Amino acid sequence: MINGNPIVQMRKVSKRFGKIQALDKVDLEIKRGEIIGLLGANGAGKSTLLRCIIGLYLAEEGECVTFETDAGELSPKELGRIGYVHQEGELLGWMTTKQLIRYVSAYYENWNHELEEQYIEDFDISLKDRVGSLSPGQRQKLAILLAIGFEPELLILDEPASALDPIARGQFLDLLLEIIQDENRTIIISSHILSDVEKVIDHTLIMRKGSVLRDCSFDSLREEFVRFTLTCLDGPLPTELPFENVISCQKSEGRAVMTVQNYSQEMLEAEAKALNCEIEIRPLSLEEIYKIVAS
Amino acid sequence: MLLEIDHHSGVPIYRQVIRQIRQQIMTDGLKHEEQLETVRDLAARLKVNPMTISKAYSFLEAEGLVERRRGVGLFVAKVKKGQRDRIRAELLDSIVDKVAIMAIQLGVSEDEAIESLKRHYEEYNSRNRR
Repeated sequence: MINGNPIVQMRKVSKRFGKIQALDKVDLEIKRGEIIGLLGANGAGKSTLLRCIIGLYLAEEGECVTFETDAGELSPKELGRIGYVHQEGELLGWMTTKQLIRYVSAYYENWNHELEEQYIEDFDISLKDRVGSLSPGQRQKLAILLAIGFEPELLILDEPASALDPIARGQFLDLLLEIIQDENRTIIISSHILSDVEKVIDHTLIMRKGSVLRDCSFDSLREEFVRFTLTCLDGPLPTELPFENVISCQKSEGRAVMTVQNYSQEMLEAEAKALNCEIEIRPLSLEEIYKIVAS
Repeated sequence: MLLEIDHHSGVPIYRQVIRQIRQQIMTDGLKHEEQLETVRDLAARLKVNPMTISKAYSFLEAEGLVERRRGVGLFVAKVKKGQRDRIRAELLDSIVDKVAIMAIQLGVSEDEAIESLKRHYEEYNSRNRR
């Protein structure tokens, strides 16, 4: 069943730590079934935002409603529908991996043991090691298992893949795509490794200095910016090129490399034809888009 | 339904899906009345978000290339002749356009370019007839 109500709803949420305005009147709505990429520089407010959603931090102003409950009042029942992987990944170091998995899974009636076994095999998790002696990457893998084992409806991943090696990262992204095949589930993932998240996300949230700069579907963000090379078929290009919303432009005699906003491929091709130019169009990567939006 | 998704090309995945299915319908790789894979199955197989696939399918439906049968699924529609011609011209034009530009840039004459196209066309065509 797909419920039309948003899972998370923030209205004018502000949060301050001393002099730092970590969140500044953030409005936000998160719908079911999305994989949301939360992007932003260090200190942009990503982790604060995520923690407000699950009531770890309380908003000083405004309101944050998660699962139709004020985030500060979430009961164990609602919290049991949320999986959270912490940036620092604090786990109980004195237990062995196996003990910790048993300990955590005991809290959830709906713990999926089959998924657990599969994960342990796929991600090569050693059960006998003490959690405290694990490498950062292994610890992160374990933290992810503990967050997905009960198949939460809302999975919040704060920099989950930063310590994973490229192969484990690839497996991890595949895992997210498997999870999202169940349309009732939602994932929010904050990450610096943009080339990774761009494979899986369908919605983008870009933050800077406590504000949300962009909140839109990844497809529309992708189609908003485009880079192209114009090569004139006879002689030099005109000095004035007829493009608006130019983000960057490099020109030499008969060629120009430009990045523009809000042009469709068809529009660019028509312009190029009118200029008697060849055009080579290239979509931008998420990293390039991010640099434009966040700068 | 054989589709190949490039996650790194920067082209939105729904567009890749639309383009490939459209091309398969136009070249009879997918035949009239053939059923499309369900959103769920295709999404799972391609490892993409189901919403991406349903978005692509709705575009194809709006274009009239596929039709929804309530409770059954999506099927390749009968494409009207006018539309078929239009899409066919679009697909071909986009490539011929590049050929024309390349020929001009290389200083190849119109006759030479046409000659070259003919040669290639006949080469493939005779192979197909065999």
